[in-house]
Amino acid sequence: MGPKIPGGAPEPSTLDGNCNNAVLLNHGGVRWKNSFRQSPVLTAAPVRALIDEQISIKGSFLPPECPVTVCAQMHSDDGDLWEAFAHYNTNADGTVNLTKDHSVGGSYLGCEPMGLFWGLQPAPCAREGLRLRKKNVETPYVMLLSLLEGHVSPSERQSTELAAVITERWYMAPGVRRTEIRQDGVVGTLFLPPGPGPFPAMLDLWGMGGGLVEYRSALLASRGYASLSLAYIGHKDLPGSLTHINVGDSYFESAFHLLQDHRQVCADRVGIIGLSFGVYLTLRIATKTVVKPACLICVNGPVGSTVKFSDPDGRTEQFESDQKYWTYNDQGHVSFKDVSLPANLSAESKVKIEHLTCPLMYIVGEDDLSASSIESANLIEETLKAAGKSQLFTCLSYPGAGHLIEPPYTPNSRASLWSVKPQKLVTLWGGHPAPHAAAQEDAWKKILDFMERNLRRELLIKKNAGLKVPLCSCTI
Amino acid sequence: MDRKQCCVKLSVQPSRGLMDEKFIVLVQNVFPGFQLTLHALYKCEDGHSWEAFAHYTASAIGTVNISEDPSLGGTYSGVEPMGLLWSLRPVPGSKPWLRMRKMNVQTPMEVTISVYPGYQTEGFLDQVPLAGVVVERWYMAPGVRRIPVTEAGLTATLFLPPGPGPFPGLLDLWGGGGKLVEYRSALLASHGFASLALDYLTAKVTIETGKMVDNQYFERAYKVLEQHPQILSSRIAIIGLSLGTSITLKMAVYSQVAKLRCVVCISGSHVQPVDGSVEQIMSFFNKNAEKTRFNNENHMICRDLLLPIPTDPSLKVDVGQLQCPLLLVVGEDDQNWPTHESAMDIKEMMERAGNSHLLTLLSYPDTGHLIEPPFTPFAKASSFRAVSSRQKLVALWGGETAAHSRAQEDAWRKTLVFLRANLYGGVNTGIASFSNL
Repeated sequence: MGPKIPGGAPEPSTLDGNCNNAVLLNHGGVRWKNSFRQSPVLTAAPVRALIDEQISIKGSFLPPECPVTVCAQMHSDDGDLWEAFAHYNTNADGTVNLTKDHSVGGSYLGCEPMGLFWGLQPAPCAREGLRLRKKNVETPYVMLLSLLEGHVSPSERQSTELAAVITERWYMAPGVRRTEIRQDGVVGTLFLPPGPGPFPAMLDLWGMGGGLVEYRSALLASRGYASLSLAYIGHKDLPGSLTHINVGDSYFESAFHLLQDHRQVCADRVGIIGLSFGVYLTLRIATKTVVKPACLICVNGPVGSTVKFSDPDGRTEQFESDQKYWTYNDQGHVSFKDVSLPANLSAESKVKIEHLTCPLMYIVGEDDLSASSIESANLIEETLKAAGKSQLFTCLSYPGAGHLIEPPYTPNSRASLWSVKPQKLVTLWGGHPAPHAAAQEDAWKKILDFMERNLRRELLIKKNAGLKVPLCSCTI
Repeated sequence: MDRKQCCVKLSVQPSRGLMDEKFIVLVQNVFPGFQLTLHALYKCEDGHSWEAFAHYTASAIGTVNISEDPSLGGTYSGVEPMGLLWSLRPVPGSKPWLRMRKMNVQTPMEVTISVYPGYQTEGFLDQVPLAGVVVERWYMAPGVRRIPVTEAGLTATLFLPPGPGPFPGLLDLWGGGGKLVEYRSALLASHGFASLALDYLTAKVTIETGKMVDNQYFERAYKVLEQHPQILSSRIAIIGLSLGTSITLKMAVYSQVAKLRCVVCISGSHVQPVDGSVEQIMSFFNKNAEKTRFNNENHMICRDLLLPIPTDPSLKVDVGQLQCPLLLVVGEDDQNWPTHESAMDIKEMMERAGNSHLLTLLSYPDTGHLIEPPFTPFAKASSFRAVSSRQKLVALWGGETAAHSRAQEDAWRKTLVFLRANLYGGVNTGIASFSNL
């Protein structure tokens, strides 16, 4: 009983290349002519993972010391094709292991176990100025991972594919509950971890791009924290025009209280995380309003408002109304960086950092082209030092990372479409692929660790140290 | 209790896994020495609730890791990473003699795992746990395609792995209960084998005409695999359980059409009228129906129907003529079929014929009849309606929970190694490479 050519296939042709045992079949795909060799296999583990989990990708039963390409393809929620690829040379035992081996070309170089995920870029045919952001967090990203013969590009996948595996990457762990919140004037989405609780919680704030951004909250809930994504600009359910912030301090107090008062949330374990303009809001809520967050996490944002106020409660004019600090590169892409330079902020909009009473972690991308993060971090550090509160401050600073330091293993956009009216405007975020990816991975771990220490363990430590602590308002 | 509840951390990794994948259950942030109970709850498709529980004592650093720490009591004991799944049993007050079988393989099994304070044994659902998580267990890996097959009069479902292929093919045969049982095929496809689950007792054609399928039905199923553009016609095997083994051995030895690379026979026998049809095989069993025994609980023991193993060669598949590797899996406490005795006879026949190098025998003590993919609840006995008799009885399958569950895990792993070696390996691989086993 010898090897048979699959029925229906005409005379197969032989591929050129170092490993010319491969046979191209007419229905696509490649089979090895020499049947002494086991067919190539591509495995990924786990095949269903959370976005912030590592996936081990391995190719096996390949010829030794041969060029292969591993390629990833997926569609965004908007239907755009994103892809990444890397060139490897198989080991002496006919394997390629992305957790150990080095890419010699493609979307990334060197040993990058998750490079196929953070190295994703819009396919050549895609629209310009794209940024990968999951809108529907209840469905996974479905990624096709393929093992290709030779050092090729994804466009050659059909004719060189040896094996494939499909992985799903989720923002929500099983059992996480998503609830739309339209209550007490608050516009947001609440994510609760599975289980009875009560849980520590986070209020989740994004930037001037507006809308309701859910994916970070979904992940935090998957890590055991109740999390409320809050909209404050650019959402149809908010009052007034889409281009102004029409909600003031009382809005953010309501949102915080909503979270605190939830029967499944530990009232004294509620923190705030903010990115970009969300940083200013985070600092303002913590120092100017009645609420008392347990800890703060600030990513690349200003210490004062970058938009003119229209009232003392923080409602603002339109962000585009003041463009004097906007700068442009040769391609006409705009950088908002100087807008948030502390020296350019109005004195009355600057937050009184010295009034801070809880731990603060500030995360800086040193290549941030959208905000003056380095200067902002320095100012915060100096102010807290002067107030004798240095122990509250932790700063993480990442060379080569840009503005959009988001959950790990997702691609960074160095620039993306900011607006289409009155004319098309592309804004610069900054960040170079590999260092930005490393920053996201490291920052996320440290963010979760910071939350663990301040929202879960903190009371225990204080208790052991004999300090008086408020009783948790949740009863068992 | 003054322990701050929001500190207790419970996690299961992976939270979405395949049915045959192991997970790690971890409890953190409890006091050192804290006594707790881990509990699993599963509501199956029929609406029945299943639970398992185990008692643990937290380590010096306030953790419990089920993969490393021993259960001190509950529905399982000792270090059993997957005990919360295989020791699941119907909750008190449930209908008796249930068996858990997932028929919809496109959705996952959702298990709620919780941690309770102290060593508890009941009333879990009346209490609020300290923490709880949900774990998904999938029969289908992402990208596995499920394709109903009705051509050539067949009632079947084909599962194709993701990727360009072509893939080796498997014909998947279950036993006397009939129906189209897909979960093993779905899992096999998740491991890279195109797998065709075939209903041969309650097939559409049988329901409509009242006639049992003939031998050509199986050969047509084989041809579906052989002719499929994404399946390697030279790499086809059959996996059969119980009555499915009878069909498997018959085809392997007597079919002119089926060219098989290897076969896997679980909990079955070679005893049957040689090359008889399904109908003839079943009436052969029924002829000996008076040998059916019942134990104290009135559970039906059928193993004697085929005993003693006949010496008449017309009543046994001539395994001496087998030309491909055979993996034979039997439970030594099988109360439904005399699989252990059959295995001994098969071995002897093959030794006499000189082809015993093709035989790999896995024989498991305290293991019963239903040797299935691992990490699902064990059933020592369950309600059974045989297609032939149409009577509803409780069949005794045999086996002890822990030993049987361990056997399933071991047998499944070795089955995959055997299939990979024979279906993915080189031309001259006659026998599986057992250094891997």
